Formats: sequence, structure tokens, C-alpha cells
Amino acid sequence: MYFVLTALLDGPLHGHAILKRIGELSAGRVRPTVGTLYAILERLAARGVLAVDHEETVNGRVRRYFRITDEGTAIVRSEARRMNEAAALVLNREALA
Amino acid sequence: MTRLERRYRRFLLAYPAGYRKAHGDELIDILLDTAEPGRRTPEIREALGLLMGGLRTRVEHAAAGPAWRDGLHLGVAALTVANLAALLPFVTAIPLWTVLSAFTVLAVIRGRVRLALPLLLLTGAKATAIASGVPLFDHVLIPITSGPRSVDGLFATTGPQVVALSYALAFAGSLVLAAGAHPLKARSWWWLAVAPALCVGPALMGESKFPVGVVRAVAELGLLAAAVCAARMARDPRWGVAALVYLLSVTVAMAEHGPYLTVRHLAYWALLTLPAVTAVLVAREHRRTALR
Repeated sequence: MYFVLTALLDGPLHGHAILKRIGELSAGRVRPTVGTLYAILERLAARGVLAVDHEETVNGRVRRYFRITDEGTAIVRSEARRMNEAAALVLNREALA
Repeated sequence: MTRLERRYRRFLLAYPAGYRKAHGDELIDILLDTAEPGRRTPEIREALGLLMGGLRTRVEHAAAGPAWRDGLHLGVAALTVANLAALLPFVTAIPLWTVLSAFTVLAVIRGRVRLALPLLLLTGAKATAIASGVPLFDHVLIPITSGPRSVDGLFATTGPQVVALSYALAFAGSLVLAAGAHPLKARSWWWLAVAPALCVGPALMGESKFPVGVVRAVAELGLLAAAVCAARMARDPRWGVAALVYLLSVTVAMAEHGPYLTVRHLAYWALLTLPAVTAVLVAREHRRTALR
């Protein structure tokens, strides 16, 4: 979920582009399946953390573009701060040693 | 349509029909775009992802609407299926009452509880009369057996109070549901297939006064485990409510045989209670953050 929201911080993306962006952000470590990605997208949309920005028809098939909401941006920033503080507990100790 | 697309579409069947219609093509597009060139069979991880995603979507769709009412509806459906399963082996001896019981299940699972109320009264009164050895509405030879060689009669090990209570529980639940204004969901037709499945196979604790069919025990545990998974996925109490309603009827039936219960009976009851209570508890767990 964290990577999905982070991928959308730069603007609306469709499902395939979100997968690619997650791959880039995580240096290939995070590779959700299409089923998992869409389960996350639907769940986050239901919670109001992201929303469908617009739809585009490509080769006769509808493609949804998702965007992060203000609430989603606040949540992902707060999660990043929390992880940063948790990482600091270890990294600061190493720096002092 | 390529072979790969056709195969991925089979996995999409895991999703509810409405979701498939609205977004199935979108998922297929990405699956085909990300597939290696020349690939003819779905990637295992993608196939599993579709199965899990479909299951989750089904659970989240099922978690819509008032939870307590929906859970009670599920519980009443399970009770009427159990009541039908008790009559089914004796269908040749009491065809009318078995058919009426099947109609009761049908009315409940299709959300027509007002129609189910008189059917529950009729079948409940007849079942209780049979368990008491009293003629009612028509004349059937008691004990009712499943065939000329059969020795176990209908309700041979169940007292009339327990039979009456089981129907009364389903009736009371249906009455509460009928009093509500919110329309009930139509349940899957698969519920009708559960009743015949519950009465086949050998019995556990067959030597005791409270035998339980192996298939029945496995089906109960399987459904209760599914209830825990669904409750955990959707953080929703409806499956826990349904599980507790069903557990109440099993507990009443077992309590009647209190002095004769064995350790295996208690283990069976504990195995049913554990997932039923877990389904309630996991639904109460709050997500720590929106990202969980």
C-alpha cells in the first residue's frame, strides 16, 4: 500500500504505470501481482485514500487513472515519518558507535 | 482472443460478475502487457494473485449492507439447512414435509423470510410432533426410518424440546428479519446443495447417543474457517454473528445429551466454538493505520 501511494504522489497513473513505478521506486524488490495491485487500489479507494481521476479508452478498453487524495497524501507522509523515526533508532546508534 | 487471454479470463471468474464486467478487461490488458513475449500459460504468481484478489473482492462486496441483520440472515439460512438435512434421509417416508422444509430453505436464502415464517411453523410443529411420537396433520408410522433395513429412526437420538428449539430459533430469527425494513440479500443457490452433503458419509461418535456425520463436521469446520477469513479480510461482524447463531443451535442439541457426552464430543464442540468466537473477535480488531 505504501508503494502504491508513493507511486501516485507525482500525479495520476493507470494500473500498468503504477506497477512500473513501484518497480522503479523499490529497485525491483516489490512486484505486486495484478490481482494484488487492484485489490489494494479498490480498498484504498473505498477508504477515500485514493480516487479514480479519469478514464481513458485504449483499443476499446477502459483504463482507469488513479490519483492520491489529500487524506492519502497525509497518510503516506505520516507513514514515511514513522518509518524514518524507526530507522533513526538504529542508524543513529550506528553513527554514535 | 489468444490462448493466454482465454486462460487468464478463466482465473477472472474468481471475481464477482459485476466487477468482471466493469473492470475485467482492464486487468486483462495489464496481464497481457506485462506477460513475456510468446507466453501461452498464465504465470503462477499472477494466477494466484487473481484468485486471491477475486476472493477478497467477493468478501468486500458481501460485507455491504447492515452487518447484524445480514449475519442473522446467514445464521437462519444455516439453521434451516441443518433442519432440512435432518429430514432428507427420510424423504421417502415423509416426502411432503421434506419438500416443505426445502421450500423453507429456498424462501430464506432468497430473502423471502415472510414466506418462510408459516413454513417454519408448519414444519417445526410436524418435526416436534414426530420427535414426541405424536400424530399431527397426517398419519405416518413412527419411528420413521430411511428404509426397511434401517434401524435409526428420524429424531431417534434427539428429544422434542431440542427439535422445537431448533425450529423456534430459526423462526425467531426470521421474525426479527421480517420486522426490519431493509430488504435482504438473495443468497447463493449453493446453500441448497449443502443440505444433501450434510447427511452423507459415516458418523463420528457413532456408538454414542449423539453421532455426528464426518462430512457434516468437515463442512461445518470448513464454513467456520471461511467465516474467520472473511471476517478478518473485511473486519466485519456478519460472519461471526452467523457462526454464533449456528453454534447456539449445536450447543443446545449437545446440552441435551450432557451426561452421555464423550471427550470427542467436547473436542468437536470446542473445534466449532473456536472459529465462531474468532470470527467475532477478528472483526472487532481495528486497523492501526489506513495502510494496514
